[in-house]
Amino acid sequence: MKGMKGMKGFANVVAVELKLGLRDPMSAFFALAFPLIMLWVKLRGGNKPLPGGVPAVDATVPMLAAFVIGLAALVVLPATLAQYRERRVLKRLRATPAAPAMLFGAQWIAHMLLAVAGTALIVLVGAAGYGLAAPASLAGVLLAWLLGALSLGAIGLLLGALAPSGRAATVIGLGLFFPMVFLSGAVIPRETMSGSMRAIGDLTPMAPVVRAIRDGWAGAPPSAATLGIMVAIAVAAGGGALKAYRW
Amino acid sequence: MAVIEVNDLRKSYKGHQAVNGVSLTVERGEIFGIAGPNGAGKTSVVECVSGLRRPDGGTVRVLGLDPHGGDRRALQQRIGAQLQEAALPDAIKVGEALKMYASFYDDPADWRALMDEWGLAGRKGDRFAGLSGGWKQRLFIALALVGRPEVVLLDELTTGLDPDARRSTWALIRTMRERGVTVVIVTHFMDEAEALCDRVAIIDGGRVTAQGSPRELIGQAGAGTASLEDAYFALTGRN
Repeated sequence: MKGMKGMKGFANVVAVELKLGLRDPMSAFFALAFPLIMLWVKLRGGNKPLPGGVPAVDATVPMLAAFVIGLAALVVLPATLAQYRERRVLKRLRATPAAPAMLFGAQWIAHMLLAVAGTALIVLVGAAGYGLAAPASLAGVLLAWLLGALSLGAIGLLLGALAPSGRAATVIGLGLFFPMVFLSGAVIPRETMSGSMRAIGDLTPMAPVVRAIRDGWAGAPPSAATLGIMVAIAVAAGGGALKAYRW
Repeated sequence: MAVIEVNDLRKSYKGHQAVNGVSLTVERGEIFGIAGPNGAGKTSVVECVSGLRRPDGGTVRVLGLDPHGGDRRALQQRIGAQLQEAALPDAIKVGEALKMYASFYDDPADWRALMDEWGLAGRKGDRFAGLSGGWKQRLFIALALVGRPEVVLLDELTTGLDPDARRSTWALIRTMRERGVTVVIVTHFMDEAEALCDRVAIIDGGRVTAQGSPRELIGQAGAGTASLEDAYFALTGRN
């Protein structure tokens, strides 16, 4: 009975947060429009094969999937949480039986559902407009996407737990996001990056996300190390976020 | 039966003693006022009672439970609060907020019925940011009641409201009492405390300087005291 109630509360918060995300022009732009613009920018020169032979669209769509997760998890999610703290929305919630872990979970799911929508859009436009090939391993892509959402989402929750204001969270989030997408291969294909850039990019938490989604799309077997790193980041950052959480 | 018992409560922030030995008792079914000037420590007392702040010293019991111990969750199911400066997300709609808050409680009120009762039905689809001060307060009262609490804590509920909205808020608070809910209000308006409260504690400088029914306090202040506001000045030595 209690578990059922808890689930109902959780589903309610997710539904409300998702609606709020879609009503906020910034969130909706970041999650839905921005990745589409990136897709158009990356492919406006035509769908030429990359060094190594992969058609550009078959690399770009998986890359941008990581880009979408990163935007929702590192920019939009922490800004929402920190703004709630600043505006004392969390203070009001603290006077209810709602638990921080439940609010974290609901925030994470709502923002990841936005990222699902953003990913679906680029996949649809990629397929319809640029002849995107179906993923060779759908299960591999889904697992990689989910682990990416967990690891980057946990970092976003940690940032949202620590940032003093919505504005600070946005600045820090963008400050993490932009260097990361350019170095990790989410915007520039890894095949065209210099060895040193790739080495730096591999140190960012977005690199395993890009690599795992691309591997799944191309049908390469998933690397245990890549998946393991994402799990480790999710556990460490998620635990840190719960510890650091302030109402 | 005492619903809230506060004994020798102490709380300081960075060396400033905000609450300095406050003791008070709130009985079941009454409207109890915590009145006093700005910065007197009223909000700190209520935040310690509601479990939002941990006291430095003294004891707090609400419905026999410790708001800071292992009973915290159980207690949150049974109290409702309107906190000073608390807010909702700008884009949330009135109906969404009520439905979401209802989902936090084990045995909530029917949020649609509550919305009708408090005159919010016509605002169901309005966004929080677009509501006037009076409508926001009405929504906050409904949110404080959605868990069917036995005790409701209302902090500075009428600050910033025009006289009409203030009077209708008073009527809403009296309605709560009629339904058997114990109400604690924090206010710096003595006329409000006099009009609404069965008993009042006047807090000044982190201490209770007087406690009793408005009539008793006016009597204590001596001849020539016409209102609680006069009594407040006489009893606190201000003016």
